[in-house]
Amino acid sequence: MSALAWFIPEYLLLAGAFFALFAELIVRREGVAAAAGALFASLAALSALAIGVRPAAFGGVLELDQVSVTVRVVLATLSAVYLLWLAGRGMAPERSREAAAFVLLATLGGMLMVAARDLMVLFVSIELATMPAYLLMGYRRDDEHTLEGALKYFLLSMTTSLVMLYGFSFLFGIAGSTSFAAIAEAPGAGLLGAFSAVFVFVGLLAKMSAAPFHYWAPDAYAGASPASVAFVSTVPKLAGAAVMVRLAVILVPGVPALPTVFAVASLASMLLGNLAAFPQSDVRRLMAYSGVAHTGYMLLALSAGSAAGNAAAIYYTIAYAAPSMAIMLLAAEEGTAVDDFAGLAARRPAAAWTSVVLLLSLVGVPPMVGMFGKLVLFTAALDAGRLALVLVAVAMSVVSAGYYFRVLRAAFFVGGRAERVPRVLPAAVAVALLTAATLALGVFTGPLVRWLTAAF
Amino acid sequence: MLLTAIIFLPLVGAIVTALMPKDRGSVARWIAAGVTAADLALVVFLALRFDVAQGMQFAEKIAWVPQFGISYHLGVDGISITMLFLSALLSLIAVVASWKMETKPTAYFAMLLLLEVGMNGVFVALDFVLFYVFWELVLVPMYFLIGTWGGPRREYASIKFFLYTLFGSVFMLVGIIALYLQTGTFDISAMADLGLPATFQWWVFAAFFLGFAVKVPVFPLHTWLPDAHVEAPTAASVLLAGIMLKMGTYGFIRIALPILPNAANQWAPFITALAAISIVYGAALAFAQTDLKKLVAYSSVSHMGFVMLGIASGTAEGLNGAVAVMFSHGVVTGMLFLIVGMVYERTHTRMIQDVSGLSNQVPVAGGLLAFASFASLGLPGLSGFVGEFLTLLGAWKSSVPAAWVVIAAIGVLLAAAYTLSMVQRVILGAPSEAVSKISDLTVREVAVLVPLVVLTLTVGLYWNSLLRFTDPVVTRIVAMLAGA
Repeated sequence: MSALAWFIPEYLLLAGAFFALFAELIVRREGVAAAAGALFASLAALSALAIGVRPAAFGGVLELDQVSVTVRVVLATLSAVYLLWLAGRGMAPERSREAAAFVLLATLGGMLMVAARDLMVLFVSIELATMPAYLLMGYRRDDEHTLEGALKYFLLSMTTSLVMLYGFSFLFGIAGSTSFAAIAEAPGAGLLGAFSAVFVFVGLLAKMSAAPFHYWAPDAYAGASPASVAFVSTVPKLAGAAVMVRLAVILVPGVPALPTVFAVASLASMLLGNLAAFPQSDVRRLMAYSGVAHTGYMLLALSAGSAAGNAAAIYYTIAYAAPSMAIMLLAAEEGTAVDDFAGLAARRPAAAWTSVVLLLSLVGVPPMVGMFGKLVLFTAALDAGRLALVLVAVAMSVVSAGYYFRVLRAAFFVGGRAERVPRVLPAAVAVALLTAATLALGVFTGPLVRWLTAAF
Repeated sequence: MLLTAIIFLPLVGAIVTALMPKDRGSVARWIAAGVTAADLALVVFLALRFDVAQGMQFAEKIAWVPQFGISYHLGVDGISITMLFLSALLSLIAVVASWKMETKPTAYFAMLLLLEVGMNGVFVALDFVLFYVFWELVLVPMYFLIGTWGGPRREYASIKFFLYTLFGSVFMLVGIIALYLQTGTFDISAMADLGLPATFQWWVFAAFFLGFAVKVPVFPLHTWLPDAHVEAPTAASVLLAGIMLKMGTYGFIRIALPILPNAANQWAPFITALAAISIVYGAALAFAQTDLKKLVAYSSVSHMGFVMLGIASGTAEGLNGAVAVMFSHGVVTGMLFLIVGMVYERTHTRMIQDVSGLSNQVPVAGGLLAFASFASLGLPGLSGFVGEFLTLLGAWKSSVPAAWVVIAAIGVLLAAAYTLSMVQRVILGAPSEAVSKISDLTVREVAVLVPLVVLTLTVGLYWNSLLRFTDPVVTRIVAMLAGA
C-alpha cells in the first residue's frame, strides 16, 4: 500500500465535505447533507482504524504513530456522531448543509494536526481546523450576540495563531528546518529556545482556552448556537491536546522550564475555570468555564513531563470530549439556561438519566470514563511530584460537582415545562452513543489505556 | 462467581425496574423484594460454606487494566462477610418497609437496588480502583433517594451529603494513587503489611482518614449526617445508618490498619480523642433533640464513635468490639429508624412532645421501640452491649491516654440518659392527641422488624455467633499493628 493510501480517511472527509454542500440539491430534504457527512466520517473512522500505525510519509511531514491513530479515530468518530445528531435536529433557524461541510473540514484539519511532523504542515492544519470553527461559531447570521462572539473568537484566534507562528519562526531559525525530528535534535538554544517555545505554547494555550488566555471562550460560546459549541469545544480541543503533547515531547528536553509553564497554566485554569463556572446560569458559559478547568487538568498531566503524563493528557481529553459534546447537544435540544433543564426528568426521563451519566463523568465519579481519566492523570502527576497541584485538582473536582449538580438539580428536583421537543431518532441515537461511550470507556477502559500507554 | 452474582444481581433488578412503565409500581416492588431476597439467600449460602479458620475466600480475580495493575478482585473474610450479610438483610428490609411507596415507585426501587450494588461491592472489593468505584457508586442512588423522596429540605440535604462525601473520597483517591506509586499495584490484599516508610504511611493515612472519617462520620466532619438522615425517606435512613456509615469504619479496618499499621499506631491517640468527642458530643446533641429522627441520627454519631474508639485501640478486644458495634448499630438503628418512620406515617409528626403514650395506644409499636431503645443504650443481653463493652475494654488495655477512655465511658451514661428520657416521653404516659387515633403496626411492619429483633437477641446473648467470624481476622490485624 503506497503512502497515498494511508490518508484515505482524510480524502473521505474532504469528499464528504464537498458532497455535503451539494447533497441537498440532489435529495431535497434538510438533514441529508449531515447524514451523508456522518456516513463519510464513520467511513473515515473505520478506515483510520484499519490503516493503523504507519511510518513517516511524504518526506517525513506526516506520520501515523499510535497517538495519531488513536486520536484520529476518536476525532472522526466524534464528528460522525455529531453529524448524526445534526442530521436529526439541524441548525435551525439556519440550514445545516454548510455546517456539515465545516464540521468535516475542521475534522480533516484536526486529523492532519495530529499526523503532522512539520511546522508548516502543522500550521496549515491548525488553520484548516479553526477556520471552519469561526464559521460554525458565527453560524446564526442575524444574531448580534453570535456575531460578536464569533468575531471575538476570530480575532483572538488569529492573533494567537500569529503568536504561535512567531514562535515557529524562531524554532525554524534555531534548527534550520521545520521538521520535528530536526527540531528535536537541535541543541538546546538557551534563552532563545525558551522564548520560542513559550510563544508556541501561548498560542496553543489560547486556542485550548487555558487560563490566563481563556477570556474569549465564555463570550464566544454564549453567543453561539449550543449545537456549534458542542462541536467547537470538543473535537478541535482533542486535536489541540494531541498537538500540545507532541510539541511538548519535542521541546521539553531543550527547554526544561516548560513543565513549570504548564503547571502554572494548569493551576490558573483549574482555579479560575471551576470557580468562575460556579455562578453561571447559562449552560454554554458554564461549559465554557468548565472547559477551561478541564484544559487545566489536561495541562496538569502535561506538566508531569513523562510518558505517562503525555498518555494521560490525551486520555483525559478524550474522557472530557465525549460527555461534554453530549451535554451541549442536550442543551441544544432543551435550551441554554440551566433553568431550561427544569422538569427534564418528568418530560424526558431518558435524557435526564443520560445527563446524570455525562455530568458525573465530568465530575469524575466512577464507573464512567471521567474517573479513569482523573486516575491516570493524578497518577502521572503524583509520580512527577506535583502533589500540591493534584490536591488543588481534587479539591476543584468537588467544586465542579457543585455546579454540574445545579443542572441535575434542575432536571430532577425542579418542576418545569411539560411539552417536550419532538422525538428525532438520529439525535437520540447520537446522544445515546456518546453516553454509552462515556460509560463503556470507563468500565472497559483497558484497550484505550493500552493504546495510549503503548504510544509513548 | 458467587460474589459477582451477589454484587450484580441487584444491578439486573435495578435495570429491570428502572425500565418498567411508571405505573407498574406494584410489580417493581415484587421484583425488588425478589431480587433482594435472592441476594440475601446467596449471602446466607456463602456464609454457610464460609470457613472461619481461613482468610480470604471465594476469591475472584480477573485483570481489568493490566497496565496499571488494576484487577477485578473480590473476596470475603470474616469481617466482610458480616457486613455483606448486614447489607443484604437491610436491603431486603428497606424494600419491604417501602411497600407503600406511591411516588415514582419504579425509580425508587431501582435506586434502592443500585444502592445495594455499591454497598455489597465495597465490602467484597479487594482492588483499590474497584473499591473506589463501589464507594462512589453508592453516592448517586443515595443522592436521588434523599433528593427525590426526602423531606422538606431534601435538596439541601442531598447535595450536602454528596459534596461532603465526595470531598473525603477524592483525597482518598490521592492516597490510593500514592500507594500505587509506592507499591506498583492496586491490589488491596497484596499491600498488607509491606512495611512502607513511616512518613509515607503517615501522609497516606491522612488522605484515607479524610475519606473514611467523613463517611463514619467522626466529629467534626459529621455535620452532613443529621441533615441527610432527617430528610431521607425511612428506607434510605436505614441503609445510610445501617450500611453506609459502616463503609467508613470498614475502610479503616480493611485498608488503613493492615496497609498502614505504623501510621495507624501514630494516629491512634488523635483518633481516640476524636472518637471520645464524637461519643460525648453526639450523645449530648441527641439529648437536646425534639425530633425523634434527629435524636436517632445524633445517637449514630455517638455510636460510631465507639467503633472508632475500638479501631484506634489496636487491640483484639477493641477491633472485635468495633465490628460488633458496626453490626449491632446497623441492626438496632435500622429498627429505630423503621419504627420512627412507621409512627410518623401515622401521626405525621416526629416531634417528641407530640408523640407520647405509644405503649397504651399501640403496644406493639411501643414495645418494639422500647426494645430497640434498650438495645441502643447497651443493655446487657442485647447486641449493643457487646460492642460497647469490648471497645471500652480494648481502649482501656491499649496505650491511648486513659482520660479519653473515661470520657468515652461517660458517653455510655449519656446514652442511657437520652434514650431513657425519650422512652419515658414517647412510650410511657397517656397517648397524646396525635397518637390517640392511630392503629398499631400491621403484620408486614412487624415482619420487617422481627429479623432485626432476633439478630439483636442472638448477638446479645451468644456473642460468639458474631465474634467467631471476626476474631481470626482481627487477630491477624493486631499482629500487624504490633509488628509495626
